[in-house]
Amino acid sequence: MTRFLILLPVLLLSGFTARAQDSVETRQLDSIRITAQSKLRDMGMQKTSLDSMELRSDVTGSLAQVLTRSSSLFIKHYGRATLSTASFRGTSPSHTQVTWNGMKINSPMLGMVDFSTIPSYFIDKADLYHGPSSVILSSGGLGGAIALFTSTPVKEGFSLHYIQGAGSFLTFDEFLHISIRKQKWSSSVRFYYVWSRNDYKYTNYRKKHFFYDDQGNVSGYEYPVERNKNGAFRDFHILQDLCLRGPYGGTWNVSAWYSATDRGIPLLNVDYKENASVRNNQNDNTFRGVIGWRKLHTGSKLEARAGYTYTDMLYQYQRDLGDGNWANMVYSQSFVHTLFSQMEGEWYLGRWMFSASITLNQHFVTSTDKAVISTQGEQSLLGYQQARMETSGFVSARYRPSERLGLSVSLREDLYGKELTPPIPSFFAEYLVSRKGQVMLKASAARNFRYPTLNDLYFMPGGNPLLKPEEGMTFDGGFSAQNNGRLVKCSGNLTGFYSLIRNWITWLPTFKGFWSPVNVRQVKSYGVEFRGSLEIDPGSNWKIGGLGNFSWTRSLNLGDPVSWADQAIGKQLVYIPEFSAAFTGRLVWKDWTFTYDWSYYSERYTTSSNQTRTQLDVLGPYFMNDISLEKRFSFPGVVLHVKAIVRNLFNEEYETVLARPMPGINYTLSIRIVPHFH
Amino acid sequence: MKSINVLLSKILLLLLVPVASCMKYGPSQTETFLPGAMGEGLFIVNQGNFMYANASLSYYVPGSGKMENQVFIRANGINLGDVAQSMAIYGENAYIVVNNSGVIFVIDPDTFSLKGSITGLISPRYIHFIDDKKAYVTDLYQEKITIIDPQTYLVTGYIPTPGHRSTEKMIQWENFVFVTCWSYDNKILVIDTRTDKVTDSLKVGYQPSDLLVDGNGKIWCAAAGNLYRIDALSRKIEKIFPADADGVHIFLALNATSDTLYYLNKSLWRMGTDQPATNPVPFISLDNRPYYGLAVDPVTSHIYIADAVDYVQQGKVIRFSPRGDPVDTLTTGVNPGFFCFK
Repeated sequence: MTRFLILLPVLLLSGFTARAQDSVETRQLDSIRITAQSKLRDMGMQKTSLDSMELRSDVTGSLAQVLTRSSSLFIKHYGRATLSTASFRGTSPSHTQVTWNGMKINSPMLGMVDFSTIPSYFIDKADLYHGPSSVILSSGGLGGAIALFTSTPVKEGFSLHYIQGAGSFLTFDEFLHISIRKQKWSSSVRFYYVWSRNDYKYTNYRKKHFFYDDQGNVSGYEYPVERNKNGAFRDFHILQDLCLRGPYGGTWNVSAWYSATDRGIPLLNVDYKENASVRNNQNDNTFRGVIGWRKLHTGSKLEARAGYTYTDMLYQYQRDLGDGNWANMVYSQSFVHTLFSQMEGEWYLGRWMFSASITLNQHFVTSTDKAVISTQGEQSLLGYQQARMETSGFVSARYRPSERLGLSVSLREDLYGKELTPPIPSFFAEYLVSRKGQVMLKASAARNFRYPTLNDLYFMPGGNPLLKPEEGMTFDGGFSAQNNGRLVKCSGNLTGFYSLIRNWITWLPTFKGFWSPVNVRQVKSYGVEFRGSLEIDPGSNWKIGGLGNFSWTRSLNLGDPVSWADQAIGKQLVYIPEFSAAFTGRLVWKDWTFTYDWSYYSERYTTSSNQTRTQLDVLGPYFMNDISLEKRFSFPGVVLHVKAIVRNLFNEEYETVLARPMPGINYTLSIRIVPHFH
Repeated sequence: MKSINVLLSKILLLLLVPVASCMKYGPSQTETFLPGAMGEGLFIVNQGNFMYANASLSYYVPGSGKMENQVFIRANGINLGDVAQSMAIYGENAYIVVNNSGVIFVIDPDTFSLKGSITGLISPRYIHFIDDKKAYVTDLYQEKITIIDPQTYLVTGYIPTPGHRSTEKMIQWENFVFVTCWSYDNKILVIDTRTDKVTDSLKVGYQPSDLLVDGNGKIWCAAAGNLYRIDALSRKIEKIFPADADGVHIFLALNATSDTLYYLNKSLWRMGTDQPATNPVPFISLDNRPYYGLAVDPVTSHIYIADAVDYVQQGKVIRFSPRGDPVDTLTTGVNPGFFCFK
């Protein structure tokens, strides 16, 4: 054991692998080895890791809120429990690849992930891979990739915590987490349930109530105060994680996550339909299960995973028939089954690390709209049924010729259906400029491809089976530094990036009247990302922390003009802000914690030509201020955390998406109960 | 110790000061438009993008070449809404049908100022006036046509259209209104305006879209890439003119004397209404892109073709002389799709 402890500083500094013995099974050793290997594995990459502190700031938060606050990603959403998509570096949401415990969770139909359906309390770790770094995880991340992980507890014994939140607009959150760790196994089960009427009031500046005089002339008007219509939602999630130390040093992990969501899709503020006359709802049932096996050998690691995803999604747009019955105007339902398997290995030879993986995803999709009836009276006129196998092979070599320099090359090759993408090479380099301050230069480059989604290829009507994959070249470079002083700890990471995406897929109308996807655009994006943190520990029961990020993103349409009249060339893409920033400040004094969140987006254009004439063309800059105050109460056998959150502190009236008014100042009170079990 | 506490308390207070606040959001400014000359002027209805609520209304005066965009929001300070589908003028009022907002706005066609609105609709598409007290409104999703009173702006009744949930374009011949059933349908319904009942129907091609009646009492319908000439009296299909084997969406228009039919099918074509076959070459050759709307001035026979460009920016309308020579290019709102002559 002593031998290994002596090795620790060397490992951390050089990134060389500990040649651990199989007979040593302490988690401490594994942790050392994993840390060292991880440093070699992440060499040269632009990666942001969100820890549990950032993920667990409040029970009402989805992962979308966390990413808004803690990353440079642009999250497009229009309120809680509404479609929330994430874009890296000015790309589209389908250019963000997402894995959960190693299994890809992007919809094979749509290509994207709705982050509002992922409760932040259900994620224990989130790694964000920016730009070229994403190819380590998956192809298709032309903007980046996000790896989400769940885990079982580290602490021995039984633990439980329960959180209840109650908030404005009749919103109630419940979260229960029970976990147990024994020497050979550990288990964690989480439940989450939220229900909200979500009918906040707002002054509707897009409508007027007119007053008329006796002659019928307008004598005045007022802006109506309306409620968010049809916005109620109900989400339920259950997650089981199980970890088992098997024989011969292998570790087994099983994760199973079921969620059921029932969400109203709020009406636009320019909608004059009566609230009771229509219903616009989306119901999702999703199951994700992964079983994984991992074994650490001397100088190597082997992992295997298998998983299954089931999703059924039903979108209904109904009208009231007036007799208690509802008629379907849209009844669009899809069923997705995905089988997943993956094998990967890592080998450490002196200053070299080699890794390889192969991933298989087999999708089976059925999509129908049962409200559409043929002229012969048959239903389900629209829809498709398709299966597709996606295979991805990956190899990489990482080399550290000296203590300060690290180089890495990798190659990925994908097969989707019968189509083979061209090779996806990537290159990473890092150089430690100064040990003091851990000043590190990083650079990376990658070619990447994203193949069309099943809807792009087969949707009825409009699917285009002749689509080519989107192709991207991305480069980035920057430096990071950190200082871990006794009083002050700080870190910073500044990156510049450039990418060019060809054959960008866009849906456009056709001669036949319906929309169809085509490879039309070429998009160039470039900019700067900065992330910094500061922690001050002055003693006297005080702690101060701050985390901020800033990004400048130019994402420009460089495609061929549609016609001489096309004003969109060279302009910023629709709904991509040029600037975004967020800051979280935390002040702790004894058992009190005060948190302040501020986030900002610059204006977003709603037309490709970036017109700014009226409020229809541009959404003004967005500033949001939230605060919370938490008090910890310790009693014999139990600890209570009482937290009050104020969102939209300055009661701003605003829209983040056209015609989607957002709530004014609103409040949540939550209580967290953590009993002690001895 | 005390000094640290004082310092940290000040930091706490500073944190409470907003880093930035006050977003730019609120009412839209309004402006007054003076009444223009009657008899000349063209409204261009810009659909906007679905769920963007960025529909708008443009107004063009061909004589002066003056073009005003977004006149509805500028005159009234409120949005036109989500997907403005069509517009019609009846008497001293103009009626703008805003599909996904479920509303018909009634404006003064001279000043663009709002006079009222018709609600209680689901997904209105087109409005057709029978008389001073009655108008029909078609719907994308309901198996019924809504009857409204154009003076009181109230819904007064319904015409059931069982089995046909999508009703679209309407034209009137004598006491009968002919209605296309567009979405995944293949019928033209015939409504007796005296009884407000569907009395007959005709089977045409798949997804009949555009519909009009010429000076000879012949109804022209575009469906499944074909042109159907229907005798209004006998309600029989007289002739089917194949226009495009691919079944493209075709727009129709008639000249001022209603004896020449124009149809937009990749290029602009024209033919006499009594011609035995379509012409082999187009009247105006256009680049191979889907254009978004067609109209012919009912007085001057000038031709207007709408170009939505990339569908997420300001569109263009190209004006041609009756001989087919380009005269003007107008910049409109997003997705110009419908024209209404004053």
